[in-house]
Amino acid sequence: MTAQLLATRALSKSFGGLRAVDGIDLELGEGQILGVIGPNGAGKTTLFSLIAGSLPPSAGEVFLKGTRVSGRPAHKMVRAGIVRTHQIVRPFPNLTVAENVAVAALHGVWRAAGSPRARAAEVIEFVGLADRADDPPSALTIAGRKRLELARALATVPLVLMLDEVVAGVNPAEAMKLAALIRRIRDERGIAVIMIEHVMPAVMSLSDRVAVLDHGKKIAEGTPAEVAENPLVVEAYLGKGGATA
Amino acid sequence: MKLGWPALIPVPAAAAFAVVVVGLALMPVVVDFPPYERNLFTVAFLMVSGALAWNWMGGYLGQVSFGHAAMFGVGGFVAARLMLQAHPTPAPVAWLLGGLAAGVFSLGAHPMLRLRGPYFSIATIGIGEASRLVFTYWEEFTGGSSGLSLPIDIGGKARIYWWALALMAIVVAASFVIRRSTLGLQLLAIKADVDAAADVGVNATFYQDLMIVLSGTVVGITGGLYASFFSFIEPSDMFGFDRSIAFVLRSVIGGVGPVVGPVLGAIVFVLLRQFLLASYPQLYLGLYGLLLIFIILFEPLGLTGLALRLVRAVRRRNRRAAQGSLA
Repeated sequence: MTAQLLATRALSKSFGGLRAVDGIDLELGEGQILGVIGPNGAGKTTLFSLIAGSLPPSAGEVFLKGTRVSGRPAHKMVRAGIVRTHQIVRPFPNLTVAENVAVAALHGVWRAAGSPRARAAEVIEFVGLADRADDPPSALTIAGRKRLELARALATVPLVLMLDEVVAGVNPAEAMKLAALIRRIRDERGIAVIMIEHVMPAVMSLSDRVAVLDHGKKIAEGTPAEVAENPLVVEAYLGKGGATA
Repeated sequence: MKLGWPALIPVPAAAAFAVVVVGLALMPVVVDFPPYERNLFTVAFLMVSGALAWNWMGGYLGQVSFGHAAMFGVGGFVAARLMLQAHPTPAPVAWLLGGLAAGVFSLGAHPMLRLRGPYFSIATIGIGEASRLVFTYWEEFTGGSSGLSLPIDIGGKARIYWWALALMAIVVAASFVIRRSTLGLQLLAIKADVDAAADVGVNATFYQDLMIVLSGTVVGITGGLYASFFSFIEPSDMFGFDRSIAFVLRSVIGGVGPVVGPVLGAIVFVLLRQFLLASYPQLYLGLYGLLLIFIILFEPLGLTGLALRLVRAVRRRNRRAAQGSLA
């Protein structure tokens, strides 16, 4: 068993009467990839926002290497080592690709050797945007912008990288390349990854473990094979009777 | 791999800037400089400084303030009070303290930082107008509607030319340094998307507060210099809404964002106002409004945008001419 890196305890978020995230316990080991799946509206992105500090939790806690980090704002989470990407990419349109990454490279400074400038250049190279460094983000394809989103997150030298549907919405060839890139992020950089993904082949092949959310609750967790067999999961996706249909 | 990065200020630009500043500083000594022109220059220096400081918020952060008269007024009245005390504070110290007071005062905008765009602007109108009323009725401090008179000092008034020039030089240099530094990069990220900036580690609240305080301090200092220059200040003028609007106008005319924008805008503003007031005092405001409408309609980046357009057109023509000669 690998050492525990990130853990959530009974993490919850209510919007008025709606419990968007309801008592989620998650654990992520070092060097692990954890897939988070679930139907639309299951609370996956809200869960990410809670862990990344974009939203304050209503209840529950987040621990990074045993230290309680929940309640900190997003920029402090980045300093602690938790960074997220967005499902709908959010590049800074008024900055070039290189500058977009440079902004991120200014943070997480003490975890990395070398200047922010060198790190930004290295990350841009790593995600394969070196020849587009001086272009505005609007000149990139959707897949290119997803790479930029990845580069920006990586430039902060995270311990935990949270990817919100990075593979979704691009053509199959690009999806394969992005999935390979995510694997390289874990293998070559040793960064633990939590990924929300609807593209099942990607999430099932990449993840060490998969957690399934439905209506804000975790209904199943296990290896990809275990989860795929779980009748509760099949029911959440296909409805009752779906398993026999 | 080579990477675009905020570079340091290029040496030729810095040298040109130094030459201009030294030239302006020597002008009253070397050539015959009539008081009218000298006063016009002094006011222009103050307006340029104020416009640039406004641009630190409006242009760099994208938070358009319609309440900067409040900082101008606080700086002016605090400086004036300090100079009028039983043991008067030396003018430069009073100006600086007035600026600092305005900087602290401007932190009152902190709770409004969660507002963006038009909502922030509307809230600043509220702060500006509230300040105007409070300071107009606070007669013990501001003298109410009869204002405050400072002792007239002809030599001192002439010296303000250099003080204003020094302030402008510092503010222009600071504008370039901020723009080119990693701070400027983060400000641009905040301007584009506050939440996404926070998600990559930018402490958006801190940097916004920082820029508000810096902007307020500089505008406050110009308020103090203005008070000394005119020897008389009055709250409904210092805190007036048209003064707040003027801060916006100078940048809009010149171009919001780039450093040259507010500089050009403020200079044109001062010259135009002087010309229009002298020639068409009745039409002054109408002509001004008309000009503004034209700029907003046809060139959102103001005079800077117009200049860029001209440069591009000339380049295109040169290229076409070059191709023509090849064919």
